[in-house]
Amino acid sequence: MKNLSKDPINLVVAGVGGQGNVMVSLVIGNALVHEGYFVTIGETYGSSQRGGSVMSHLKISAEKQFSPLIPEGQADVVLGMEPVETLRVLKSFGNQNVVTVVNPRPIHPVDFTGSGSGYPDIQSLLGQIKSMSARAYVVNATDEALKMGNAMLANMILIGALLKNSLIPLSEDALVPVIKDMFPKAVAANTKALKAGADLVSILN
Amino acid sequence: MVTKTKGIGDLFKEIIDKGLCTVCGACVGDCPYVVFYRGKIRMLDFCNRTEGHCYEYCPRTFTDLDAISNKIHGTSYTGDEIGTVKEVLMARAGDSKTRAKAQYGGTVSALLSLALDNGVIDAAILSKNTDDKLPSGFVARSSAQVLEGAGSNYMAYPALEALNGMPRDSKDRLGIVVTPCQAIALAKMKVSPPSQRVSMENVRLSIGLFCTWALAYDRFFEFIKNNVSPAKIKKFDIPPPPANRFDFYIGKEVESFPLDGIRNYRMSTCAYCLDMTAEFTDISLGSVEGIEGWNTVIVRTQQGMDIVEEAKKKGVLEIKELPAQNLVHLKDAALIKKARAVQAIVERTGDKNDLMYLGISDNLKGKLLSHRVTAQGGH
Amino acid sequence: MPNIDMDAPGSNQLFIGNEAMARGALEAGIGFASAYPGTPSSEILGSLSEVAKKRDIYVEWSVNEKVAIEAGAAASFAGVRALVAMKMNGLNTVIDFLSTITLSGIGKKGIVVMVGDDPSAHSSSNETDSRPVSKWLDIPLVEPGDFQEAKDMMPFLYGISEEFGTISIMRSVTRIAHARGNIKLGEIPKIAHKARFEQYLDPAAPMPTPIMCVPSSFRHMFQHMRMDKVREKFESCSFNRYVGPDKPDLLIITAGSGWLYSQDAVNALKAENRIGILKLGTLWPLPEKLIKTHLSKADKVIFIEETDPFLEGVIMEYTAGFSPESKRNLFYGKHTRHLNSFGELTPDAVIKAITSVLDIKYAPRDAEYMKKVEAVPQGHVMDRLLTFCPGCPHRASFWAIKNALAMDGRNGFVTGDIGCYTMALGPAGFFQTRTHQCMGAGAGLANGFGQLSRFGFNQPVVSVVGDSTFYHSIIPALVNGVHNHSNFTLVILDNGATAMTGFQPHPGTELTAMGEPAAQISMENICRAIGARVEICDPFDLKDTTRTILDLVEQDQGARVAIMRRTCELVRQKKEKKPYKMQIDPDKCLGEDCGCNRLCTRVFRCPGLIWDAAAGKTRIDEVICTACGVCADICPEGAITKEAIA
Ligand SMILES: Cc1cc2nc3c(=O)[nH]c(=O)nc-3n(C[C@H](O)[C@H](O)[C@H](O)COP(=O)(O)OP(=O)(O)OC[C@H]3O[C@@H](n4cnc5c(N)ncnc54)[C@H](O)[C@@H]3O)c2cc1C
Ligand code: SF4
Ligand code: SF4
Repeated sequence: MKNLSKDPINLVVAGVGGQGNVMVSLVIGNALVHEGYFVTIGETYGSSQRGGSVMSHLKISAEKQFSPLIPEGQADVVLGMEPVETLRVLKSFGNQNVVTVVNPRPIHPVDFTGSGSGYPDIQSLLGQIKSMSARAYVVNATDEALKMGNAMLANMILIGALLKNSLIPLSEDALVPVIKDMFPKAVAANTKALKAGADLVSILN
Repeated sequence: MVTKTKGIGDLFKEIIDKGLCTVCGACVGDCPYVVFYRGKIRMLDFCNRTEGHCYEYCPRTFTDLDAISNKIHGTSYTGDEIGTVKEVLMARAGDSKTRAKAQYGGTVSALLSLALDNGVIDAAILSKNTDDKLPSGFVARSSAQVLEGAGSNYMAYPALEALNGMPRDSKDRLGIVVTPCQAIALAKMKVSPPSQRVSMENVRLSIGLFCTWALAYDRFFEFIKNNVSPAKIKKFDIPPPPANRFDFYIGKEVESFPLDGIRNYRMSTCAYCLDMTAEFTDISLGSVEGIEGWNTVIVRTQQGMDIVEEAKKKGVLEIKELPAQNLVHLKDAALIKKARAVQAIVERTGDKNDLMYLGISDNLKGKLLSHRVTAQGGH
Repeated sequence: MPNIDMDAPGSNQLFIGNEAMARGALEAGIGFASAYPGTPSSEILGSLSEVAKKRDIYVEWSVNEKVAIEAGAAASFAGVRALVAMKMNGLNTVIDFLSTITLSGIGKKGIVVMVGDDPSAHSSSNETDSRPVSKWLDIPLVEPGDFQEAKDMMPFLYGISEEFGTISIMRSVTRIAHARGNIKLGEIPKIAHKARFEQYLDPAAPMPTPIMCVPSSFRHMFQHMRMDKVREKFESCSFNRYVGPDKPDLLIITAGSGWLYSQDAVNALKAENRIGILKLGTLWPLPEKLIKTHLSKADKVIFIEETDPFLEGVIMEYTAGFSPESKRNLFYGKHTRHLNSFGELTPDAVIKAITSVLDIKYAPRDAEYMKKVEAVPQGHVMDRLLTFCPGCPHRASFWAIKNALAMDGRNGFVTGDIGCYTMALGPAGFFQTRTHQCMGAGAGLANGFGQLSRFGFNQPVVSVVGDSTFYHSIIPALVNGVHNHSNFTLVILDNGATAMTGFQPHPGTELTAMGEPAAQISMENICRAIGARVEICDPFDLKDTTRTILDLVEQDQGARVAIMRRTCELVRQKKEKKPYKMQIDPDKCLGEDCGCNRLCTRVFRCPGLIWDAAAGKTRIDEVICTACGVCADICPEGAITKEAIA
């Protein structure tokens, strides 16, 4: 464990119910705790139902236990598993210094209005995400995961992208024991996904 | 006067919830939002389209009678008592077996069988009774199947649902048996054909049944259940005036009820119907007053002429001239229905200029309104 | 899920609050745990059930909370430490028992009730605060302020329970129970539990004394005396502590998650030198002396606590008894509208309250950024309403119910209950559900509606309940309905688990909480034994299900039952692969044309179906679609096809 230049680091993981948001924060959180950090994770959740916006707040500290919720405008890092959700989080928690990593694969909301207006234009969404971040990265995590044969691996690919850019105080090595512990049957696939994330992530422009 | 095509919500608000539905079935069978269940048209989900075929084809939403007359007969609507006519005659099936199963002369069944045998049509949409003696649509492809449908069931049922239910890409040439309101809906469908249904071009032969009124499916079924056991009924009949009876044939027995009582089970919408003789069909038929076992036949179109000629030639039909007195009575009855309908409509709207669904010229409107309703016509 | 009984004392782990409490219970040496699932309390028993066999303790998912607490009390009576867990709604249903066990007292070993409150009612039908029960019924109550305390308070509370012979309550809220944080593990003792119900046949006593609550008034007095002693103990408890300057400008009195938010707020406002925080862990009986000491050091006092102004009320009530000469404070909180007594606390709400009291300026982000925030079009962050999972049997069940009620045409409606299917209040279940109260209420209401025909009522009533709910609280309602000839249809959505709270077993499932073969109680046999007509259908067979419901509804007399049986999709997925290859033929799809108007994406609305507005066609999202195949049966054009995968 090392002292953090900013303490706590506030990380928001944003996605849609069913994407595996909780899993992402668990993997990161467990690894950080084993490294000696204090971690608090809070979630908005719609129970087990799918389709709702889901967001995890992670506070990482070398000093103490913080609350499970990040105040307005106080995110340091946003990990966006879905573009609309990324923008939604930036709207509430973004600020001039926030760094964002986004998976551009949309998840369409069920159309409750019957308007059929469809999903917003992806390029315009990404443009706003970029303009609302000090730095923004993109990684086609779902596409890659589908290539690897399991959409759920997108989560590990996204974590790989986070680590690559040192956005959280974790190394790949620190993750390996957690992966072994949490996914004993899929260690190879998950480590591969982690590496793929590091390879694929690029600056959003 | 309603002129605009609207959506399903309006169809329910303006027609179905107001007791104007004829249960013709034009709005059913084509989309997942509307179904027919136990005598009623029901909406399963709200379709938010502001314009729909359901509303457009309904015989009780605005109906441009000139347009449909032009489509079927190539002339504007005349308002004549029995509509556009090529020939009126009297007929019955040449085959006694058909006659035995049929309502009166079996002309309908005989003509449909011929059309099927001849290859004029590949299938006929008609009605058959369920075990409960409720009418339901079915598709006949042989004369044997046509005979299964013989006989009249005086309860209104959604004949056009069966038409709408035909596969969209079906190539079958179709014949169909319809009551006058169903004939109007069918004609509206022909005027502005639906893009997503079976092609209206496929409908080659429409046979109309004379109709003074029809019975409400759900209420009359209650009556039957309470008064005669449905499973045992062999045939329903309303013998021509002046009998004033409703007969149930149960085995060899006939159980009669006064027609006046049965009239309580009429559909309320029939009061606003001005067509007794199914004017917008190829051929229409009814009974013959005073001559049992024969049909009055009105041939209206060339298709109608062709098939009747053929039937005569092949002996499928025995044909006679309709006694002049019968024709006079028929026209009287038909005119009375028209006049009564217009009167009822004006009573309902409270405005002589608002004839609800009827799109007719002012001239004709005046003519019908001036007619005095006197005698009782039809059944 | 972490292994809560890991044998690594002193190590740091990441636990959710509920796991921390379960670990705490193990460290306290419990031998018996019972619960009925309810968010946010379910993981307590859930995680204990996973280690029960290994740790030689008994763990059960009880049929309902009332049985759970009574079963737990029996363990205490027989000398085994017992833990009972429930959510606040459950606590409401056990009040009667609580009100007697406070009088009778407990057995030789302690019993703790863990109640999970859900401020903001994220997963609840109400937002009640459980703490007032402690004052009302004279029960010691503690509330953990972080994850470590969630664990450490357990052994402490058992100590209280046993020392003073009283049942005790630990209250936690969603943001502790379901949040994750650091835990330093302690030792789990090895205890050979010995159960025996002592009958106290003391030869010297005039007669044997059962465990009883009479004479109640006398025992009520006795409980008050016990509570005074507990108060003494709480005065010096280390779960109550103070951080901040000696004489703060503002004293925060807080508990539970409020403690974490208060620290966050002070940190964000950099006001460590001005604000002091008195954090209470033992809330009732109130450690009065401790509070008085801190009140004397500050003029301004603000209360930061979840939901009700409980501390705010009892402390202000307490100070009302101070002598006229003693120091008076200015109190802020919910009564001054600085905070709300509804909805959950957030760091922002606490920051706002403090800045308002102390007149501090605070802007979390600069003006330029705020402009960008305001420029985001609403359409770019459209709402995502909750819906049933793709492939969820409930969507199919409600489709059938909807169609059946529409065909029936008498304005029938659904009385709802508590479970995933509560979502049928909205578009997920086609707005079929028209009443929503507490567990079991839907069937109770149906009983009443079903008797109203004498007053002209002629609408069909369909009570829809889940399988777990059926056992929990529907059986008496069905008995009542059959006995009194009430006219309603009971629909049981049997998906084989308590799905909403995380697939706990229930009396109809194969295994007990301990993973042992259970005596499965057949719901159809129960219903038939009660005398109800019972029909069973598979909701994925839409035609048959619709016909069955229609038939039951049209029966129009007596209480009758339809069981819609189909495994929860989330459970099925774990065991099986996708059963079909789903495809949409764009040539057949009518889209918005007359004849369909997007029935699938506009009305049916499975998340697996996407409306491609540009193409004017529906598409399958193969990542989301679970290939249940139901939509193939609703498409009027046969455009959606399912092809079995061998
Ligand atoms: C509701 C109704 C009212 C009628 N009112 C009169 C009247 O007032 N005056 C009069 O002269 N004749 C009336 N008729 C017509 C008459 O009953 C005979 O149907 C007609 O004379 C043909 O006789 P047929 O022997 O050729 O019939 P058949 O050869 O027995 O053929 C009768 C055909 O009618 C079809 N059919 C039976 N029931 C219905 C129904 N409910 N809706 C649509 N099609 C049906 C059958 O499928 C069959 O194909 C009415 C018929 C109906 C159905
Ligand atoms: S009259 Fe025919 S088209 Fe009109 S509402 Fe009734 S069944 Fe539908
Ligand atoms: S098959 Fe259809 S209904 Fe089932 S999950 Fe896929 S899209 Fe949804």
